[in-house]
Amino acid sequence: MTTGLPVSTILLTTGFLLALIGIWGMLTHRNILRIIIGFAVMDTGLHLVMVATGYITLGTAPIIDGALSKADAASRAIDPIPSALVVTAIVIGLSVTAVMLAYAIRLYAAKKTLSIDAFTESKW
Amino acid sequence: MMRHILVAVIVVLFGLIFARMVGGYVELDALRPLALDYVTRAPVELGTPNIITGILITYRGFDTLGEVAVLFMVAASVGLLLKKDDAKPASAKVSSPKVSGEKTAAAKPVLAKTEAARAAAARSAAAKANASARAATAGSVAVKSTKEAAPAEDDEAAPREASEIVRTGTEILLPLIFTFGAYVIVNGHLSAGGGFQGGAVVASGVMLMLLARPGSTLNVALLSIIESFAGVFYVGLGILGLVLAGGFLDPRFLPKGEFGAFISAGAIPLISALLGIKVGAELSVIIDRFRS
Amino acid sequence: MVDALFHPLNIFLFGLGGGFVIPLLYRLGKPWLHAGFFIALIGIVAVSGVSFAGLLQGGPTIEVLTGVGLPPLSINLRFGLWEGFFTFGVNLVALLGALHLWDRLKGNYGALLLYLILVMGIDGMVMTRDLFNLFVFLEIVSIATYGLLGLDRNAAAMSAAFKYIMATVIASTLFLLGTVLLYYVTGTLNIDALIEHRAQIAGPIGTTALLMVLACLVIELKPFPANGWGLDVYEAAPSGIASMVSVGVSAGVFFALMKLLPLFQDQLGIIAVSGGISFLFSNLIGCKQTKVQRLLGYSSISQMGLMMLALALLTQIGATASIPLVVGGLFVNHLLAKAGLFWLAGVLKQDDVDARTSLSGRPLLLGLLALFMVAIAGLPPFPGFWAKWELVMQLTSAGKLPWIAVILTGSLLEAAYMFNWFVRAMRPSDARAEARPDLVALLPIYGIALLLVIAGYIAARLSGAASLWIFAPLAVGVVLYALDWLPGRLKAVLMLLAVALVGFWLVENATGIAWLFAVLLLGGSLVIAAASLYREDSRPGYFPMLAVLLLSIPALLRSSTSLEFFFSWEIVTLASCFLIAKGRGAGPHVLTFLLFSLLSAFFLLAGFAGIASVSGTTSLTALLTAGPDATTALVLLGIGFLIKAGTIGVHVWLPGAYTEADDDFTAMLSAVVSKVAIFGLLTGTYLAIRSEAALELAHGMAWVGMLTTIAGAVLALRQTDFKRLLAFSSMSQLGYIVTAIALMSHLGWVTALYLVANHMMVKGILFLAIAGIILRTGTRSFGETGGLARAMPVTFILFVVAIISMSGLPPLMGFGGKWLLLSAMTDKGWNFLAAAGLFATFLGFLYMIRLVAGLFFGKRMAGQANVRELPIALLVPQALLVVGILVLSLYPKLLMDPVSAAIDPQFASTLVWQGMSLYTIYGYWNPTPVMFIAVAVAAALGVIAWAVYRSGLRGGGNLARFYAYYRRGIEQAMPPVATLFWQGVTDFTLATAATFRQVYTGNGQTYAMYVLFYFLALYLASTGPAGFWIAG
Repeated sequence: MTTGLPVSTILLTTGFLLALIGIWGMLTHRNILRIIIGFAVMDTGLHLVMVATGYITLGTAPIIDGALSKADAASRAIDPIPSALVVTAIVIGLSVTAVMLAYAIRLYAAKKTLSIDAFTESKW
Repeated sequence: MMRHILVAVIVVLFGLIFARMVGGYVELDALRPLALDYVTRAPVELGTPNIITGILITYRGFDTLGEVAVLFMVAASVGLLLKKDDAKPASAKVSSPKVSGEKTAAAKPVLAKTEAARAAAARSAAAKANASARAATAGSVAVKSTKEAAPAEDDEAAPREASEIVRTGTEILLPLIFTFGAYVIVNGHLSAGGGFQGGAVVASGVMLMLLARPGSTLNVALLSIIESFAGVFYVGLGILGLVLAGGFLDPRFLPKGEFGAFISAGAIPLISALLGIKVGAELSVIIDRFRS
Repeated sequence: MVDALFHPLNIFLFGLGGGFVIPLLYRLGKPWLHAGFFIALIGIVAVSGVSFAGLLQGGPTIEVLTGVGLPPLSINLRFGLWEGFFTFGVNLVALLGALHLWDRLKGNYGALLLYLILVMGIDGMVMTRDLFNLFVFLEIVSIATYGLLGLDRNAAAMSAAFKYIMATVIASTLFLLGTVLLYYVTGTLNIDALIEHRAQIAGPIGTTALLMVLACLVIELKPFPANGWGLDVYEAAPSGIASMVSVGVSAGVFFALMKLLPLFQDQLGIIAVSGGISFLFSNLIGCKQTKVQRLLGYSSISQMGLMMLALALLTQIGATASIPLVVGGLFVNHLLAKAGLFWLAGVLKQDDVDARTSLSGRPLLLGLLALFMVAIAGLPPFPGFWAKWELVMQLTSAGKLPWIAVILTGSLLEAAYMFNWFVRAMRPSDARAEARPDLVALLPIYGIALLLVIAGYIAARLSGAASLWIFAPLAVGVVLYALDWLPGRLKAVLMLLAVALVGFWLVENATGIAWLFAVLLLGGSLVIAAASLYREDSRPGYFPMLAVLLLSIPALLRSSTSLEFFFSWEIVTLASCFLIAKGRGAGPHVLTFLLFSLLSAFFLLAGFAGIASVSGTTSLTALLTAGPDATTALVLLGIGFLIKAGTIGVHVWLPGAYTEADDDFTAMLSAVVSKVAIFGLLTGTYLAIRSEAALELAHGMAWVGMLTTIAGAVLALRQTDFKRLLAFSSMSQLGYIVTAIALMSHLGWVTALYLVANHMMVKGILFLAIAGIILRTGTRSFGETGGLARAMPVTFILFVVAIISMSGLPPLMGFGGKWLLLSAMTDKGWNFLAAAGLFATFLGFLYMIRLVAGLFFGKRMAGQANVRELPIALLVPQALLVVGILVLSLYPKLLMDPVSAAIDPQFASTLVWQGMSLYTIYGYWNPTPVMFIAVAVAAALGVIAWAVYRSGLRGGGNLARFYAYYRRGIEQAMPPVATLFWQGVTDFTLATAATFRQVYTGNGQTYAMYVLFYFLALYLASTGPAGFWIAG
């Protein structure tokens, strides 16, 4: 707060930076496992961005309990939608990662290498 | 090098786009009408204190159902992909010798190409200046391959036991993890948590168990039956909502109960539990498939 | 209750419920598993079908609500006409696809549930009205695809799948981020609400978010050049899966784009350009491809590009009323034809175009292949044809001419590589006939072919052109095809009967010149078709196709709108193409013929569109009334017809096609089919009469015609193959007719029609005679024939009559024609042309003498002592045609009167008939002196030529040597410029394709980079450089 930058802006920036790191990793590393990690990092970064956009200044988690009464919810809860979407997005991200890893195993089994450059059977 | 420059261009350009977006970002200071609707209506209409769970399971329940389907498909896909090759003849039996002929024909050039590709990869790798990163890659590949080879052989003879510490730790932690998972699952409508989160906790427990006892087997058949039943029941609950309440996946066909009580919020806890079971089972199955 | 059972929501209950139950059923046993799968899949098809049918009968759009509360709060789905159309189409194809894939799916519960949920996911993408839910369905579809791609476990398939995953994950990540940011900007995820609050989507975040969503959809449609990953999957995946990716997944994504299009109003241009680039380049690069599935991949991508282009442009010009026909037609065309082609490729296990898995022994499969290719190429009667017509019409009227060039060029390239495959598949192979694919494997292919035909009819209804008569030729063809098991001669008789009956029914409604043409051509075609009785073999497929061809000609002639005309025109082209393909050595020439025919057709299409946009109607009468601003359209039409007439420069398709077609069919091609182009030229140039500017064009056309005549004659002189000589002679004679038409005068047109009648009969006789000679001697070479006059006296006499009439010597019909032509040219003051005409006549004499002498005079060849007279079946038609020549020579009035009457509405009459003599308004023309001069000039030239030959040779020599002497001279003087030119064009195209396909390196990481660059390019194109600046 004292920096003057809203907390969600910091989160947003962090998320984007993470995504950029992910992109860099995914495009520069040759090893398929590292490429997958790049994807995962990018995904995580963007999940951060998503959560950040739902933040309402001085808001709190949208769960009615001792800290947040029903009446307060309207004014103090953060936007619940991005949080809900992120749950779905995380699950889907995980699913995709799992499938990619399974493919990595198959690819390795096929050629005993994990270098992406080795898998250029089809071209043109 | 050329590639690195291109990648750098991509990253810089994306960085600029992101920076422009951050520049245009203004933190919201109040809920928009739709969000306000959710926040005010969810506790009243559904009787669930956790608004996010309310949204996930009811308002956007259709998404969640799709998400469950995604996980379910991943389990199937991974199974399909990592199925041992010896299972192949059983399924390919019917597809006549033509296929196998084609297979062998296809296999040959592939092998040859592999040699060539590997040689080429090796050459280019040697030529590249930034060998350090590459060496690391190669190292990890090597390590991985030996790792994979070792347990594969061990599995046949005698599975290597985990160390005392791991085993003991597991024995203490596992009940805790499972309990915590169950807690997160069933309290999804009341506090932070829910089916997905709890399911993931449970699956992490399973993972720990598998790490600690590499020789142990998971009853995948049972898990997949559980998984299927959970899915069918989920869809069934959705239909009940359609028939008994307002629409597909409407949980209000059960009484709302007292706000904040354990048994409340209509069918939300039920759906949440099914979700938890399903997710836990699915993730466990996926983990197990990767093990083989 | 029924409503509840077939409520669209049940698609998801069947899909998910079925999917979840499948592992349980698997435990119960395979019969349970399979039954469960099909119940669920058929349930999905039935639900979408019944709901769609309900909507078609005027039912209201079905809103599907889920969860609690109303739409912006909870997710809703919509099932309207569009949704019904897309889902039902995809589901039906998916059901057939499951049958096709059954070998792979059977017993494999993982694959079964993935397939089921994939189908459901596509339906979800189509139906959902929530942006995030769209993302979820996109992921469902993607992951199901990823899983199914694992069905084939060879390295190529695996790495292709991995590349596919990398690219699509990037795309869907863009979609996810875009969606959430759009929510941040607008506060809603409901698509309808987003569209309503479109104005709120602004500022850096809003714009970027919108572009991310757009980029995802565009990338998922595999735009060039960021599409290598898609191509690899098409190539390496099992055919059933590749087809689902090509038609199912793409359909879902495309529909998503269509649904969100109101959000992309500012990006319509970008979408159109992206689609256009994909369409053009995919088709270009496809030309260089020989792997069947990858070829189909290029075609798939290009079709999606075309659909994007059409959608964006039609929206941009506000022609939203045409979108159902155009986009719907293109979609259903692609859906059915592409799936059929993928499956066919799978069933044939053919992975390379060049592979020697020949189809030549399997007429039915070859027929199916042809059917699908015709559909893909956008030819009638399939939906793609109607869609493309409408698209071109709309774009022309909006003045988007460069786009039309893109569409037509791309279509031509696509036809080139698709039919290249077809032609290769047709080659007879030495390989022993393999076991036929079993019926079950073929069942889905038959099913989809049937659907395609039905879709074509529906599209025709939508275009307002589905009258009985226009489909009559095809219907007759189908009926005859059903009787194709009968013996050959019986089929020929049936075909003649059918053509006579239906043909005269079609002719009844034609009027004016068209009626004349119709009567003439129908009569001629019946006589010439009767000659096919000379062969006793069964000729599978020949007679039905011939009936289609012969009936399409009168159908074309009675057309009253340009759409009907164009439809029949294309059918004529296709039927002749397939008939030519029946010839043994026709292979490569079929492709040339088809490509030039299509080129011609595309010029016509552009021309008709131009006229329609000027006059506002597609009625052919617009050709008569359009003003001078239709000159461009006129030129386009003219070029189109001239290509088809085989004029100089574009004649390269003609000799091969004529020479290699079946011998009796060549007679039909030359005598009858070629006249269709002439008719087009006549009607098309009505316009020229109206506009002064066009007169210069007419002069040019006259020269084109005359040069064609001369070139044809010279080329004919070069030949040692007498069938080929006649082919060039045909080209030469058509040149005269073109010149006559170009005169644009009453006299000229009468001449043209007179020449048409003459040429039809003459060429009919000559080619039939040649057919008989080839039958008897087994050769086409002058070197192996000679002295046949004694062996076949009747033929000889008939032949000579025809030659005399063709040469223009008195007293036969040709004399009148040539006399009229010379008079008309001098009358118009085109004296140089007249002189050129005289020279051409001389050249004509030369090759005709050679033809007669080479065949009938001289010594009989060894081993031909027993050569007999031609079979009666060939002699009778020839005799009939000779009778025709004699009658018209003696009583020209029989033809001239109706011709004059038909032309009179367009010109002031210049001809008067008194008794047997012809008068013009300029006075009495004495034919004899003119003709004497002509003959004298020709004779003088001949003497000179002989003298040159003698002096050059010093010594005696017979006629054959005389020709051989000049042949060398001609060969040196006239290099095959046209052939070289077109070869160069082909080489250039292939070289360009080879260059551009270098972008497909095969490296997945590079492809991922392309995808990211594609987004950046899209972003740059939309926001400009300012988009990369923080304050921008």
